[in-house]
Amino acid sequence: MNTMADRVSGLFFMALGLAMYFWINPNYIETVDGGNISPATLPNIISIILAIAGAFIAIKPTDHQLRNPILMAKTGLYVALLTAGIWAMSWFGFEYVAPVLALAIMWLIGERRPLWLGLGVVAMPAIIWFLVTQLLGRALP
Amino acid sequence: MVEFSTILAGFGDAFSLYNLAFVLFGVVLGQFVGAVPGIGPIMAMAIAIPFTFGLDPLPAIAFLVGVNKGGLVGGAVPAVLMNTPGTPDAAATALDGYPLAKQGKPLKATKMALFSSITGDTFSDIVLITVSAPLAVLALKMGPIEVVALMIFAFSILAGLIGNSLTKGIIAAAFGLLAASVGQDPENFTPRLIFGYWDLFDGLALPSVAIGMLAISEILHRLSEAHGNMRPTIIAKDTGNPDDRRVTWAEYWSCRFTMLRGATIGTILGALPGIGSTAAAFMSYAMTKASSKDPGSFGKGNIQGIAASESANSAVVGANLIPLLTLGIPGSVGAALIISAFMIHGMQPGPLLFENQGRLVYGLFGAMIMANFVNLWVGQLGLRLWVKVVSAPESIIFSSALLLCFVGVSMATSGLFGVAIMLIFAVIGYLMASFGYSLVIFIIAFFLGPRFEKSIAQSLALTNGDLTQVLKSPVALALLILSVVSVVWFLRKNVQGEDE
Repeated sequence: MNTMADRVSGLFFMALGLAMYFWINPNYIETVDGGNISPATLPNIISIILAIAGAFIAIKPTDHQLRNPILMAKTGLYVALLTAGIWAMSWFGFEYVAPVLALAIMWLIGERRPLWLGLGVVAMPAIIWFLVTQLLGRALP
Repeated sequence: MVEFSTILAGFGDAFSLYNLAFVLFGVVLGQFVGAVPGIGPIMAMAIAIPFTFGLDPLPAIAFLVGVNKGGLVGGAVPAVLMNTPGTPDAAATALDGYPLAKQGKPLKATKMALFSSITGDTFSDIVLITVSAPLAVLALKMGPIEVVALMIFAFSILAGLIGNSLTKGIIAAAFGLLAASVGQDPENFTPRLIFGYWDLFDGLALPSVAIGMLAISEILHRLSEAHGNMRPTIIAKDTGNPDDRRVTWAEYWSCRFTMLRGATIGTILGALPGIGSTAAAFMSYAMTKASSKDPGSFGKGNIQGIAASESANSAVVGANLIPLLTLGIPGSVGAALIISAFMIHGMQPGPLLFENQGRLVYGLFGAMIMANFVNLWVGQLGLRLWVKVVSAPESIIFSSALLLCFVGVSMATSGLFGVAIMLIFAVIGYLMASFGYSLVIFIIAFFLGPRFEKSIAQSLALTNGDLTQVLKSPVALALLILSVVSVVWFLRKNVQGEDE
């Protein structure tokens, strides 16, 4: 029985709960006099629950199988691409970045057919632009 | 109690050409995306919600209801034709639908799925319309103490029913509540856990969190699997015999008890938070097979199997709205998304909705009934078209869906900060799903978090901090005892499961 995935996630949630309770909540939640419930009460209770439940999972794990690590690494690549896309949009705008981002995603998937590439890179961003700016009258990012 | 004139006015609002157009658009979109393996109605609803901003509440919600209902019908198409369910709900449909299609009767199989889906859906809508108003009247008698107890009960049920580990369910719920506590403290209005980012003062935006976790995380997963592996198209050819392309009245009528049983199972399970349509479909299928005189024919193209699965999974949709409209507690991700649409349009789901916006609620009911007829009509006309949709390449579908999510969240949150939060929650959602933690519980806890905390504060104010006052509320006491009982029961079930 492979229990590594649950042990790792259990330890993570235990560490998160403890970090929240001992460091994050005291430093990032203001203390207030009066009121029926202090701002830190619920986050503190949740942090304790997270730490206890995390420890429980780490001690008594299930045999949950983690996704294929190679696929997870590929997902990391797509996340990096999307992060770069958001960053680029903040500088150049959706109109310029969307076709490049669509092309990069389609290329990474393995799409090489010119017709589908054309549809994804030119037609779809143009349709979104028309829908948002012309029909809905809203601004693109 | 809602007045009869309000009910009539609500239905009158729904049955207008303007709303019909939005229902029609929603159903077409829903059937379209349902037919594409990997997208499904939940992702489509998540993407579509921000685009409904400019609409009035009724057409916006009618559109989303159309997407949800259409998606269930569309989901059966790839299940039947390719043995690849467009939605998890349709997995049981593939058991008999695909063998029937392989026998040269793909249209008979998809039409049977359509008819039984509409039958089950209409049944649960009628139950919803009949029982929700009286239940809301009862729910209105609940004070903050009872609301806190009810939410604890809902969390304990959700944590136990979804997934295979109660502890993981509790962690997902706690993590959702933690995410909900970011932003303004509802009692003292001070900033909390915002780490200097004042964009977080109003809390994490629901569209960012919901779309990130439900749509983007799933797209990321699909993208990683699609790399260098373009899906081939396998469509079953029909025999050319006209009888193999239609469902006769006699065939439909022979499935009436199967559909009634499926619709009843779907309605009961749909009304309970957390169980979902996939469980309903498989339970109905198993019961139909067990009670059949010819169980050996199941799995080999028996239309009773299709009727059992589709009537049950579609009946869940209407019944899911019972806890949502009466208690303000979403029973599924679809219901949670409908809630976020309600909130975007200034409505607070719960028992007061019937009192404050009864006309709108009955408008929604009218739109649901209308969506069933439209679903039938579009399904009849569109089935041949959706067969083509099944073969659309994932490359264009996922790249387009990502761009739509970017634009939708940017519109919903007024900027790229919300899009960045969406991506962060997409990664969190992807990791949670990878490690076996339920995203459904997280989202529902995230949604209920502020109300939960507010109800605790109100309860403490009412009781002056004396927790023994809970003993004076029989409803709250009963719900808390039920919560403990359910946690113990689920823990024992987990332990038994491990031993086996």
